[in-house]
Amino acid sequence: MTARRLDADALLDLATEMLRAEVLPALSAEQRYAGAMIANALEIARRGLSEEVEAAEWALLDGLYEEGEGSTAQLARDIRAGTLPEGKARGLADSLRTLLIAELRVRNPRFLASRGVGG
Amino acid sequence: MNETRSSSRPRTLDPGNLDPLARWLAQAIEAEHVEITRADLLSGGAVQENWRIDASIRGGPRNGTHALVLRTDAVARLPMSLDRPREFACIKAAHRAGVLVAEPIAECADKHVIGAPFAVQRLLSGTAQARRITRDPKLAAFGPALAREIGGQLARIHAIRPPNDTLAFLPLPEPDAVVTAITEMRRALDKASEPRPALEFVLSWLMAHKPAPRPVALVHGDFRTGNYLVEDGHLTGILDWEFCHWGDPREDLGWFSARCWRFGNDALAAGGIATRADLLDGYNAMADAAIAEDELAFWEILGAARWATIALLQGQRFLSGGERSLELALTGLMPAEMEFDALEAIAALESGRPIP
Repeated sequence: MTARRLDADALLDLATEMLRAEVLPALSAEQRYAGAMIANALEIARRGLSEEVEAAEWALLDGLYEEGEGSTAQLARDIRAGTLPEGKARGLADSLRTLLIAELRVRNPRFLASRGVGG
Repeated sequence: MNETRSSSRPRTLDPGNLDPLARWLAQAIEAEHVEITRADLLSGGAVQENWRIDASIRGGPRNGTHALVLRTDAVARLPMSLDRPREFACIKAAHRAGVLVAEPIAECADKHVIGAPFAVQRLLSGTAQARRITRDPKLAAFGPALAREIGGQLARIHAIRPPNDTLAFLPLPEPDAVVTAITEMRRALDKASEPRPALEFVLSWLMAHKPAPRPVALVHGDFRTGNYLVEDGHLTGILDWEFCHWGDPREDLGWFSARCWRFGNDALAAGGIATRADLLDGYNAMADAAIAEDELAFWEILGAARWATIALLQGQRFLSGGERSLELALTGLMPAEMEFDALEAIAALESGRPIP
């Protein structure tokens, strides 16, 4: 990938590419597990630079609470206590699924692909 | 369990100073002399350490050369896991009941011998590596029979029932296994710094769809591909008993078949090695009460919720427990996967489809 700006995204991309191409193959079998974890962490960090998860959280909360109110912690408490209004609780599973997809695009896109959810 | 691997986690046993262990072992097994000729850290076990120990034993009932496994308490244990002496008591109970488990040899509660309490068992042959088992080119030939063997062993474990004098330390589920599990998971979620609304949703669903309980049995608690040994397509032993508890026998079957433990073989619901029907064939042939395939869905969803909770706790060990481990941090990102699977399964059940 050709980077247009030398920003965090471009640096992480370059570092991961070099790690995978030049460092991982040279590691001993014992070190390869650690090397693969580092590459994985760098890739997650790079994808995490996008604001998609935060946007998905706000979209979910805006559908449930008054504008500017509510938080994922509040939502977690309301679900456990069963205190979400009936009308709002109806589409909740689908909204939560949408949030999880946004999270998983950062955390593990290959998992999503394995579950038939495209990028 | 022949794989060894380096680790950045702190170790207890020091391979450069094995004399205290050799002296303790000699006394524990009534030998004249024990020499330890090998000590390798085995792979697996983010919670505790497993070492392969080769011992040359002179005198006593175990005279000869033995390959052993030494299992230590971890530096930090998960709240729901048993300490080494209690896990060892469960292993002994299973061994007495004829379950395929490494023969328990000796246990040491004294922290000063190697730096932590530990237990010693005979080393079993075979591999526990999930990916090696699920990607074996011969899997199609041996998978169904292996799943039946596993089902049979589970039935044998579940035949151990309370009251049991040697397992008196295990609490009975109150009022039942589902409520106990959900209470435990909610308690863990309360301690986590990251709210997980999807997991709360799954727990509330489970509470609302709780099946009638079965008679309480000994439940392994972590019986999945990766925690049993396979050699030439056959089961050689069941590992990792630290989550053993009194519970509902269906917990183990649901955990085994949960979608998160199929290692890429998604269509082979029973641990990525065979179908649920294969697993239950073996189980029902040995069990005193048969379990039907459609009962498993609830317990697979419970299993997904449990693994999501444990993964979240592992992440907390990094976030607030001060354990600087990349492995724990990456595990802490995994709950979204199990939550997603649980939501998919719930959606399937609610529209009358079989769960994946």
